[in-house]
Amino acid sequence: MKALLSWLSEYVTLPPAQELAKLLTFAGLEVEGILRQGEGLGGVVVAQILESVPHPNADKLSVTQVDAGPLGKLQVVCGAKNYKVLDRVPLATVGSTLPNGTVIGRAQLRGVESSGMLCSARELGLSEDHGGLLILDPSLAVGTPIAEALGLNDAVLEVNVTPNRADALSHLGIAREISVLTRQPLRLPAPKLHEGQGAARDKVKIRIEDPERCPRYAARVIEGLQIAPSPSWLVQRLKSCGVRSINNVVDVTNYVLLEYGHPLHGFDLDKLAGAEVVVRTAKAGEKMATLDGKERALDSDDLIICDGQKPQAIAGVMGGGLSEVTATTTRVLLESAYFQAASVRRSAKRHGLHTEASHRFERGADVNAVVPALDRAAALIAELGKGTVLRGVVDVYPKPVVERQVRVRFNRISEILGMAVPHAECRELLKALGFEALSEEGDAVVYRVPTFRGDVEREEDFVEEVARIRGYDKVPMELPRATSALVAESTAMEGERRIRMALAGAGFDEVVNYSFVAPKVLEALGETDAPIALVNPLSVEQSVMRTTLLGGLLQNAAHANRHQVEGIRLYELGRVYQRDPAGGRDRRPVARESLRVAGVLGGRREPRSWTAKEAGMDFYDAKGAVEALLGALGIFNASFALAEHSALHPRASAQVRTAGGTPLGFLGELHPRAIKRMDLPLTLFAFELNVDGLIAAAGLVPEYRAVNRFPAVLRDVAVVVPIGQRNDEVRKVILEVGGALVEDAQLFDVYTGKPLPEGRKNLAYALRYRSAERTLRDDEVNEAHGRIVAEVNHRLGGQLRGSNPE
Amino acid sequence: MQDRLKALAETARGEIDGAREPSAVEALRVRYLGKKGELSQLLGGMGKLSPEERRALGEVANTVKQELEGQLSKAAERAEDAKLAAELRGTPLDVTLPGRKMPLGRRHPVSRTLEDIVRTFARLGFEVASGPEIELDFFNFEALNIPKDHPARDMQDTFYVRTDWLTATPESPVVLRTHTSPVQIRTMLAQKPPVRVVVPGKVYRCDSDMTHTPMFHQVEGLLVDKGVTFAALKGTLDAFVKSFFGASTKTRFRPSFFPFTEPSAEVDISCVQCGGKGCRVCKQTGWLEILGSGMVHPNVLSGVGYDASELTGFAFGMGVERIAMLRYRIDDLRLMFENDVRFLEQF
Repeated sequence: MKALLSWLSEYVTLPPAQELAKLLTFAGLEVEGILRQGEGLGGVVVAQILESVPHPNADKLSVTQVDAGPLGKLQVVCGAKNYKVLDRVPLATVGSTLPNGTVIGRAQLRGVESSGMLCSARELGLSEDHGGLLILDPSLAVGTPIAEALGLNDAVLEVNVTPNRADALSHLGIAREISVLTRQPLRLPAPKLHEGQGAARDKVKIRIEDPERCPRYAARVIEGLQIAPSPSWLVQRLKSCGVRSINNVVDVTNYVLLEYGHPLHGFDLDKLAGAEVVVRTAKAGEKMATLDGKERALDSDDLIICDGQKPQAIAGVMGGGLSEVTATTTRVLLESAYFQAASVRRSAKRHGLHTEASHRFERGADVNAVVPALDRAAALIAELGKGTVLRGVVDVYPKPVVERQVRVRFNRISEILGMAVPHAECRELLKALGFEALSEEGDAVVYRVPTFRGDVEREEDFVEEVARIRGYDKVPMELPRATSALVAESTAMEGERRIRMALAGAGFDEVVNYSFVAPKVLEALGETDAPIALVNPLSVEQSVMRTTLLGGLLQNAAHANRHQVEGIRLYELGRVYQRDPAGGRDRRPVARESLRVAGVLGGRREPRSWTAKEAGMDFYDAKGAVEALLGALGIFNASFALAEHSALHPRASAQVRTAGGTPLGFLGELHPRAIKRMDLPLTLFAFELNVDGLIAAAGLVPEYRAVNRFPAVLRDVAVVVPIGQRNDEVRKVILEVGGALVEDAQLFDVYTGKPLPEGRKNLAYALRYRSAERTLRDDEVNEAHGRIVAEVNHRLGGQLRGSNPE
Repeated sequence: MQDRLKALAETARGEIDGAREPSAVEALRVRYLGKKGELSQLLGGMGKLSPEERRALGEVANTVKQELEGQLSKAAERAEDAKLAAELRGTPLDVTLPGRKMPLGRRHPVSRTLEDIVRTFARLGFEVASGPEIELDFFNFEALNIPKDHPARDMQDTFYVRTDWLTATPESPVVLRTHTSPVQIRTMLAQKPPVRVVVPGKVYRCDSDMTHTPMFHQVEGLLVDKGVTFAALKGTLDAFVKSFFGASTKTRFRPSFFPFTEPSAEVDISCVQCGGKGCRVCKQTGWLEILGSGMVHPNVLSGVGYDASELTGFAFGMGVERIAMLRYRIDDLRLMFENDVRFLEQF
């Protein structure tokens, strides 16, 4: 809402603009800016053209001599042709800066000196008119600053009115607020309406078919009008508030809308068939052309204003072209109605129209402003259009609105605010806001709420009124009483923190991607579950909810690769979304949202450095990251088994399960098909795990195991086995045969190639023999070692290559 | 003999002093104090002396022996030191070569800020609650006192979700939650008062430009109990701001409107860049708007079956990206979701 200071000052004495802005802002009407109209015109003055001769070197330019008052006579080169000698025009003097940023300096234009610039209206930021110089009123004194000459010393407040404060969408409403805040009296306008001969009710019939959605419809008739442009004061005020001037009738309706906050509409009465107004809902198939020139198919939910035959307006939103007030109009039906907020909002949304009228009706107009606004507008239209207002208001108001009554306990106000507010102060302040005390009931007062404050419905609303007018800064600060017990941090939070710690330790940077992705990304990864799609996505790239975190991560990795990041390690911890076809009822959500952690990695293992080896990451880097993560959560003995996954390489992908067999997720090399479809620049490895599963399996508080104090005996063993033989199988045999004597068997070498025969590999393990009860003797260890070697050979078809007894 | 002993001691002292190599020191020890050394040989002739002379000579010999032993061990130590020092000479390491790299991964600035905010409220006794991001209109709007056809809905551009795959028509439209506030409702429906929760999470609005991303993060707070006051709301948020942005940060509360709180307040903090003097970050105002808050609307309380005449509460919500941007002086919101490693590695 733009509020003009000069306009507000007609109703209430104003403090300086800055102070006013602060007062309003801290009462809940946030002033987002103060636009000073003369701003940027500091160096522009009224000058008179004394002489004008063609420029010697340029056909299109003239050289003028101007009188600039105190600045004396100046020579200015000018390109316009629309002036006469002795005209008064705006002169931007040397050193000034125009609103469009042009800096005026002393200049040589084609060899002729020019001391300033003569300006058009557009150059001064006053209008779009660039047809020539702005020719000023001849009575203006030469040398007068242009802002003063044009009456531009006004300022516009940009007020951000929240949706609850429909009452503040007008100059009167803001003035009322100012009067409360400054304790200055409010001067309400008193329209001087002269009614002529003839009664309005004889000229027009009004019928409301849907009184719920149109509780009141009032109209006046004005005859003998001359439609003409509005006087400049009116044009200027509308323009300052961002409204374009049309003609004297339309302009007055807009003016009164800005003044009272109540929307009005003028119909050309001669174009209303049967001189009749019917307020009803539209019928299927009805159409009308609105004032913006668009043909609109009406919906049976649209409330419309009709004449005897056709729709003439969408109620509270926009009028129609058929009954528009035009240059030939002489009789006007002026509508002032009260429409239900939700009804207007539905129509406005449906037709994609947001008008000054719909904006106010949606937020709740004042049913009691209907007639004062109508009278004010009728009087002004009659005055400007030299017409006659017929006698009486045709006011259809079948069920007058009863003002709301609210019981307010002043003690409750103090209780909720947490400070004592003197009752007398509450009374005074509420009275100033227009709330009338009807009766007292002990501590409580029953207030009547004026109809312009539709937002005030209950006691709590009065709490806010008192608090905001006194100022929120008056309320002290205290900490809430501690009634909660100390709450343990949830396992989930601790678990998430451990996951992040482990991955940070493993060198992974965290990313946060949008939850919505392109369907083709999910397809490229072979996701088979249909994703949840948006009705109104911003783009197809963001149109479905992700079912895996990998899509975003892979795109991040590609981005990193394009920017020469050599070793990529990224992870994300976030939700994925799956359909729950049975959801949506009993307040159950429609999606299963589960938390996952996923990572992608690839490129150089170690950052380029003089100590680093040139080596690329592989499957085991991904596995190492997963193992680090599991370890941080205290999950031991998880299993990794070769498994199919649509996004992963069939020979290099594994499913992770807990020791108990619960699946936790996958890891592996990206499938070449996914690499190709997603246009990824390099081989990447990835993992994706279910966080809820991880946390369920986590042992966040470890249990101490006794430290073995007896010495260990270390022996290595190397076996040659078929190339497909898995490490876990070999290890299982070693540990099983070793029994209580073998504490651990660490794989430390895997070798294929010469001198081994084709199809065989060598696995070397470091065995640690140790007993929990005593120091082992050499012969026991030798005996056990021999058995292990024999058993591995026997069971797995292996060959002993050697062992070192030391 | 005593004279010979003294002369021997004199010679030995001079030679030990002159010895530089550990081997030379050892050779001197053997020569003077060894079994067949000069001292032993000299004393070997003592048999010819009377017992008194022998005793006297023995005392002197002992003194000399002890003296030489001490001197030899010092000389040995000195010689070892000299030898080690000689060995340690040579080209030193280039200590300016970079250390072996062990890069740690970084936290995303948004998730880091989110966790810090949550931790701060946890210290004030707030538990963490969460709820669905794909939410029923009922929870996102209606239960929060934002009815259908209400202009307050314009404050949040909403993404709608297709539901043609559900086995039955949902009881209300399905949206991506536009704020974390629906979790207020789900939390209160699920538990008895008192309630003291913070809700971190992703929210979505159908808006994308220089200063808006279609997804962002909020932290919501809710406290419902007997006797919760507006003063407590102010105190809690002021304590949070001072803990998070520094003790000298000031807060100010401005009346505002949220359908689910009454009274409602916007909270500004003194500019973290200029301290309130006015700069580019605060657009010369000295203040930054960072929070929305208010006393829980009685309609919201009674809607979840709480007794609004017995209980009061406050709620607040803040945008995490905005706070992260202020904290790390990030000037472009869109960087947050580009996930450029050169950006991520700064946090």
